[in-house]
Amino acid sequence: MIGPFALALLLATPTAASVKLPAHIDGWKLAGQPVSYTPETIFEYVDGGAEAFLQFDFQDLTAASYVASDKVEVRVDVYHHRDAARAFGIYSQERRAGSTKMPGRLEGIASPDHLEFVAGPYYVKLALLDGGAPAILPKLAEAIAAKLPGTRTAPAVLACFPDTGKRPRAEKMSARDFLGHAFLHDAAAAPYEIDGAHFRLFAIEGKNAAEARAMVAAFRAVAKLPKADVSAEGAVTLTDPLNGEVLLMWAGRWLWGAVDEPSPRRQALVEELGRRLVKIAVPVSAE
Amino acid sequence: MKLGATGVAASALAAGCATVAAERKPTSPATPLAGAPELTKVDAPAKPTEPQRRKLGRTGIEVPVVSMGVMNADNPNLVRAALDAGITLLDTAHGYQDGRNEEMLGTILPGRKRDSFVVCTKILVKTLDRTTGLFGKGTRGEEITEKLAISLKRLGLDHVDVLYLHAQSARAGVLHEDLMKALERAKQDGKARFIGVSTHKNEPEVLRAAVEGKLYDVVLTSYNFRQDHHLEVQKAIGEAAAAGLGIVAMKTQAGVYWDKEKTKPIDMKATLRWSLRDPNVHTAIPGFTTFDQLQDDLAVLHAPELTPADDAKLRDQNDPKLAGLFCQGCQDCLEPCRMHLPIPELMRSYMYGHAYRNREAAQSLLLALDLPGTPCDDCDSCPVVCAKGFDVRERIRDIVRLRDVPREFLI
Repeated sequence: MIGPFALALLLATPTAASVKLPAHIDGWKLAGQPVSYTPETIFEYVDGGAEAFLQFDFQDLTAASYVASDKVEVRVDVYHHRDAARAFGIYSQERRAGSTKMPGRLEGIASPDHLEFVAGPYYVKLALLDGGAPAILPKLAEAIAAKLPGTRTAPAVLACFPDTGKRPRAEKMSARDFLGHAFLHDAAAAPYEIDGAHFRLFAIEGKNAAEARAMVAAFRAVAKLPKADVSAEGAVTLTDPLNGEVLLMWAGRWLWGAVDEPSPRRQALVEELGRRLVKIAVPVSAE
Repeated sequence: MKLGATGVAASALAAGCATVAAERKPTSPATPLAGAPELTKVDAPAKPTEPQRRKLGRTGIEVPVVSMGVMNADNPNLVRAALDAGITLLDTAHGYQDGRNEEMLGTILPGRKRDSFVVCTKILVKTLDRTTGLFGKGTRGEEITEKLAISLKRLGLDHVDVLYLHAQSARAGVLHEDLMKALERAKQDGKARFIGVSTHKNEPEVLRAAVEGKLYDVVLTSYNFRQDHHLEVQKAIGEAAAAGLGIVAMKTQAGVYWDKEKTKPIDMKATLRWSLRDPNVHTAIPGFTTFDQLQDDLAVLHAPELTPADDAKLRDQNDPKLAGLFCQGCQDCLEPCRMHLPIPELMRSYMYGHAYRNREAAQSLLLALDLPGTPCDDCDSCPVVCAKGFDVRERIRDIVRLRDVPREFLI
């Protein structure tokens, strides 16, 4: 008979440890048993870097190695995060601006001996040890990705950033503490360069409209603006004592704007960003 | 326009510190936590509003007692504000954010006077077996040389102040000949002023190996009041400091929360001060990502003495019920158990099942143990008192049910 504890185990959310990595891939063999790490033990594996993963609601990690007949080894780390947005978030933090996209349809980047990609709530890193042909990495990535559930699409917010002047493949997502403020969470930012001016556009998704307005109020307080009721939608340019001038707009559950260097053309980009953001479907939890 | 507004930031932060310092009440000497030997008292600062500094062992570098673990920070303005406020030692690593962390510092540091900051980075050699702490075949000193060159390029500097061999946990790793030669070469070539080793596991062994190796100037070690073996770490830190090594403490935030559910935050200033109460710790590197957290760390930088109020905060919630899931294997439970159960192994199985969520490993361990059909059910009361406060009987009853789950259901 299966008792309550075992039943709870059976009903538990699948973890990275439950991801069955293929035993063989194109002449490569899984070496030994994969090792799993939890939020409590990830420090043992990635030391101080663990904090960054925890910020993106890291759930667990499966670490394994594949070896070829010539003893070349590929290390595979499958990081499981709370959801696809969080997995993309840590990937975006680690992705170098302008990195080479990996071949194929997966969202990922590749270098001669490293490959990183995201698939649903999973962020996967492959590292080729001891030399060897880098062509194996995309093949391994595709085979591993086929075992991972979840969507393959990037978070919708990223498609809202206008292309004009945007640095390619350089968007970053922050789960919390955006701009160094604890009240700003779930932010996406993209760097721009227009006419020599460097600035970032950003978009922040509140849990709902009330929380978005609360974030605006907190930002106004940081900038020492007079207390005022925050309207359902609006715009303000404020001076954040720590980040300089911030152009801020809001509507519904979204805040968006620009920070860093001013540019005469950024206002139009910010407005375009806002028009696109408010079209993103409202999640059930925010209605 | 210069990015950020750090002049404003620094003055805002300095104002915050002055307020904190002014509000502090006179305190009696701090009491150590239970079991901790008395440490030499750190003299109270003559000027409480000045950042407190200590000498980083034989490096001779005067460092602020609170430094910055940069690993999570992706906002250059936060780092600028920290530097301007007196947190002048920055700790990063070649691998943090896959290099983006060093690149972020590279947007800040080249524009500053080189002697106005201390930057430390770490290199993880890819053949390191994290489980054993040993290096595998194919370990090359050149990997350090190559990665250091990349790190310097990212940082925009011609040298770092401390170059650490990253994440060591065994004597043999610390004393790996090829790697030590490469580290020494980095120093001779002027690319690293000093050499160090970082450790977050088997810290006493690593600290002693660093002394033995003679090459190392600094050890970056985990050190907090919640470590089961913190007294042993403290002793090894004392030995290393006496041998002239600089000691940098990390993981001083002790997990940030008391409980797994993250509902009970640990007082960050108190736990940071707990590590700094040890005069052999020369600086600590808490990570911070908000300006509010920076304010807290600056308050400790200006007033690092552990107060009785801090001590109480660390004692009051050190509740055995929040002890976590890790059995330290003391075996004090074996003798009292009337059923002679292998309790440490059962606690390990419980940890596999609940902490690691590795049901297969938990079940395999259970099945390998010679257990009665219904362990714990034959005793009316349990005489076992766990040193870590585990409810041993409850945990055993919970985990042994896993024996009956068919293997194919263990997802």
